[in-house]
Order: sequence, then C-alpha cells, then structure tokens
Amino acid sequence: MGKADRISGAFWFIFSLFISYESHKLGLGALRQPGPGFLFFWIGIVIAILSLAVILKSFKKQSAGELGESIFARSNITKLLLVLSSLFLYALLIEWLGFLIVTLLLFLFLLKVIEKKKAWFAALVSFVVTALSYVIFELGLQSQLPRGLLEFLRF
Amino acid sequence: MMEILQNVIYGFGVALQPVHLMYCFFGVLIGTLVGVLPGLGPTAAIALLLPATFKVTPVAATIMLAGIYYGAMYGGSTTSILVNIPGEAASVVTCLDGYQMARQGRAGPALGIAALGSFIAGTFAVVALTFVGPFLSNLAFAFGPPEFFSLMIVGITVLTYLSSGSMIKSLIMAGVGLILSGVGMDTISGKYRFTFHIQSLLDGMGIVPVAMGLFGISEVLLNLETEIKRDILASRVKNLFPSLKDWGESIWSIVRGSILGFFLGIIPGGGAVVASFASYAIEKKVSKHPEEFGKGAIQGVAGPEAANNAGAGASFIPLLTLGIPANPVMAILLGALMIHGLQPGPLLIKNAPDLFWGTIVSMYIGNGMLLVLNLPLIPLWVKVLKVPYYLLYPLILLFCLIGAYSLENSASDILIMLIFGILGFLMKKFRYDGAPLILALVLGQKLETSFRRSLIMSHGDFSIFVSRPISLAFLIAAVLLLIIPIITQRKKLSTLRGD
Repeated sequence: MGKADRISGAFWFIFSLFISYESHKLGLGALRQPGPGFLFFWIGIVIAILSLAVILKSFKKQSAGELGESIFARSNITKLLLVLSSLFLYALLIEWLGFLIVTLLLFLFLLKVIEKKKAWFAALVSFVVTALSYVIFELGLQSQLPRGLLEFLRF
Repeated sequence: MMEILQNVIYGFGVALQPVHLMYCFFGVLIGTLVGVLPGLGPTAAIALLLPATFKVTPVAATIMLAGIYYGAMYGGSTTSILVNIPGEAASVVTCLDGYQMARQGRAGPALGIAALGSFIAGTFAVVALTFVGPFLSNLAFAFGPPEFFSLMIVGITVLTYLSSGSMIKSLIMAGVGLILSGVGMDTISGKYRFTFHIQSLLDGMGIVPVAMGLFGISEVLLNLETEIKRDILASRVKNLFPSLKDWGESIWSIVRGSILGFFLGIIPGGGAVVASFASYAIEKKVSKHPEEFGKGAIQGVAGPEAANNAGAGASFIPLLTLGIPANPVMAILLGALMIHGLQPGPLLIKNAPDLFWGTIVSMYIGNGMLLVLNLPLIPLWVKVLKVPYYLLYPLILLFCLIGAYSLENSASDILIMLIFGILGFLMKKFRYDGAPLILALVLGQKLETSFRRSLIMSHGDFSIFVSRPISLAFLIAAVLLLIIPIITQRKKLSTLRGD
C-alpha cells in the first residue's frame, strides 16, 4: 500500500491546498461574521495535514517491510476503460441522438464488442431491453427521456 | 401511552391504504431483490429509484424507500449464506458462518433463522421507534445551532471511527464530503462557491448522482475489473424451518442482536452495517464455544442478522425526529424528503404526522411481508443469482444512467455520476471508504450554516459550543472517538472481514 498511499496522499494534499486557496478568495470574514470561505479554508488545512500524515505513514509501513503490490490487475483495465468510454459517450450523445438510439447502441456495444456474445443474441437482447425500458420508464414512470433524432416519432 | 396508541392507530389508517400497501410491497420486493444481487446495495437502489418517486406523494415515496432499505437487509442474507458473497455490506458477517452452515447442508436452517431473526428484530425496532420517536422529537426542541453542529460532528466522527480502513483516510473523506457540500450557492452570503463557472454546478453537487456513482457505478467497475467466480450451492435448499435446538441456541443471540442493533442504529454514524459487525464480535465473546465461530455457528448468523435489521429500523429515528441522517442510506432519504418539499426535523412529527406515523406502521407491515416473501421465494432468488453477470451489469448500468438523467432531465447529472463512479472505484482501490464522504456531503450544508449561525449568535465566541451542555456532551463524545484509537491499539472491525 506504500506507493499507493503516497500517490493518494499527494493528491489530497494538492487538492486541499487548492481548496484553501479558493476559500481564501471567497473571503474568510470575521469571527463574529464568518464568510463563505471560512469553514472550508480550515477544512482544507486539516485535510492537508491529514494527507501529509498518510504520506508519512506510508513510509513507516514501507520500512516495516510491507510488500508493495500493484493494485491494478493489468488484463481487465482495457475492458473497464472501454465500458467507461461507452458510458461517457452515452451521456454526451443522449440528448442529440435520443434515448432509444443510445440505449440500443450501448447494449449492442456491451454485449457484442465487450462481452463478445453472438451477434443475434446481442441484437435480440438489445432490442428487448431498449423496448422494455422505454415502456417502463417513459410510459410507466413518465421519466421524459430525450427523443433526439427520433423527435418526429410521437408514441 | 394513550396518545401513542392513538398515533399508532392513525398510522395504521395511513399505512393500510391500498396505494401505500402497494408501495410498501414494491419497496420490500425491490429491496429484497437488491439485497440478493451482489454489487447493488440499498444506497444505490434508493438513489436509483428516487426519480421514480417524484410522481407520488411523499408518504408513498417514504414508505417505498424505507421498504427497500430494510428489505435489502433480508435479501442480503440469502446471497451471503448461499454464495458466500454478501449482497450488501450489512450481510458481510453473515457469510462467515452462514456459508459454512450451507456447506454443511444446513442452508435451510441458516436462511430460516436469518429470516425469523430479522423479523423479530425488525418488529422490535419499530415498536421501540414508536416510543422513542416522539420523545426524541420533544428533546430536539432544545436544540439550537450549536447543538446541531455538535451532533453532526459526532455523527461524522462515529462513522469515521467505524469505517473500514485507516481513520485518517476516513477523516479525509469526511472533509472532502464537506467541501463538496459547499459547491453551489452559499445561502448566507448569496455568493457562489467552487463552481468555476460550470453551469451544472450552480445548484450544488446533487447527492443522488454522487451516491449512485460512488456506490453503484464504482461497484460495477470493480466487478468488471476482477471477475468473481460464483459457486452457487446448487443443492436443493430444504428444511427451511430451524429445529427447536437451533431456536434454543439462537434466541438469545437474536435478543442481544436486536437490542444492540437498535442502539447502534440510532447513533448517527451507526446503522445496520456497524450493528452486524458488533453483534458478531459480541456473540463470539459471550459464546460458550467461540471456536465454532467461522465454522457454522448458528449464533453467528442469528445475532448479526437480527442486529442489522434492528439497526436499519432504528436508523430512521434520527432522520424522522431530528432531521439528521444516521448513515448514507438515510442521507439519501433525507435528500428525497427535501426534494418532496418536506422539512425533516423536530417539526416533522407535527407538520406531517401521516408521513411519520404512516411510515413507522408501514415498517411493521413491511417486516411481515418480508417474512412471507423471503422464506418461500428463496428458490426464486437463487434463480436470480444465476443470471450471468454479463447480462446483469449492463442492466444495472442502464438503470443508473436513466436514474441519473431523470433527476433533472440533464445529461450533466450522468456525467457527475460517472465521474464519481471513477472516483469511487479509485477510492476502493486506494482503500478509502466512501461512507463518510456521502454523510458529510448531506450534512455539510446544515453543518456549515449551524456553525456560522452559532458564531453569529455568540458574536464570534467559540465557547458557545462548549458552554451549552448538550453541545458540550456531543463534542466530548466526538473527541473521545478521535482519541481512543490513538491511545489504544484499535481492534479494527475490518479484521473480521479480512481486509
């Protein structure tokens, strides 16, 4: 955990300094009339101290002979990144293409490309899921999902 | 006493309305399902279903969301016992002995005692709630800004103390949560904080997308990264009724678990998860055969299962009486109530008695429904577990996406959720617990305004926090919790999990 703790500790340290800086800009006010940045400035300072403690502890652990292991299993990271990218694309495209199209595309992508299932299976499941979720969420729960390109369809 | 009886009868009047019964049923059914499915906990489920509750009355929404929470406690035990994978955090302990019992062919009694113990404990918690609730509400009228501030500090401290991983890291998480709560407009000065001109941040960081990301999406990402092999005990589960011998051995565990769970559930920061771990530890301590624990001791199932249900029930109390969420699940429920335009707090019992009493009574009814649902439907839940993960996770992801979008018809909520999903994933990898963050996020605004109001009240004098007795008591408790781990070698509850 040593190296990982150093990385996360450093991250939170920088983050907290940034927060304290921004809070200071917002105005600390006076003690009798604390400003919007008051509490957060001090929280930032506290986090900075705590993150330094994390970093220091990681050195102590290292010297105690703890094995530094990689926390990421190499093989599936690509899968993870691909899925994440598809989700981000979903978010970015949903209003332009509409719920039906992006959902269909997402499932096709996940089932066919990522999970490598047969094309007919992926297509079937994608259609069924898209249709069912449309019925449940749009018609049943009135979620008002975006229509996007299919704006002309009114059903 | 008479007044309480009258209130309970009133509550039945509300809870027995067909629409509320229906929502109660849906809630417990979905809750059980969510509890059975690993990777989707009650926090994520409640967050996901929140948008679906906007169209109904606050009472129906609360009844359903409450049902999901304690329903998940029931469902989680099924996967723990049968598959050795906890459906959600409060069922982790049940894996230890429950799975061993299953391997010895005693899955039936394990499941049976879990269900019955949960029922007894859940009912106990609701009965206690009926009495304690109004009492606490009255007490809360003595609360001013300093008391609220100190109480929230205690809550965050308790949760930090009991979180997995290092306490320092959990404190950092709490701090980050507080900072996130500051994003958006500051109500006292009207200034915008930490928004960096990003449109979607002007209203603040919504709890729901953050919760869904931190708990829902991150879980999926974790499961994608490391494939979990699931060995479901295919043997037919028979003999669901525990034998008299089993009863004899477990009844005191159930009693102990219920009481322990109740008290741990009330404390802000406590809740079902904590209760289950504590109960296991205590059962092992008081047992005449501690060496049996970890090998299929029925007390190791009965106690924690009772505790987590009692804890779940009890954790409603701070929310309904003081407006302070006891744990992340309650935090989201608080968000839900606020979205519905309600003001949870001491006045809730007066302004919305139908919600207060209706919810409490629906919990009695819900516990009964769950007993009926759980025992006979176990074969069905086992079938659900057999759904392959490659079908499951796209569905879970889709629910998250739709849920996040439909909060405010905004794709940027999806983006927030995904970003926090990545953050949650990284946090789990780097061993940071997300619970203090979410609790701090929900409490943050109220905490900050209480803080500033206190200082305004006292003209800048910090002693206001320690000169008022209730506030002082809370702060002492918080300080003790922070110091104790430094003084004594803290025996981490996480060692039970084998972190």
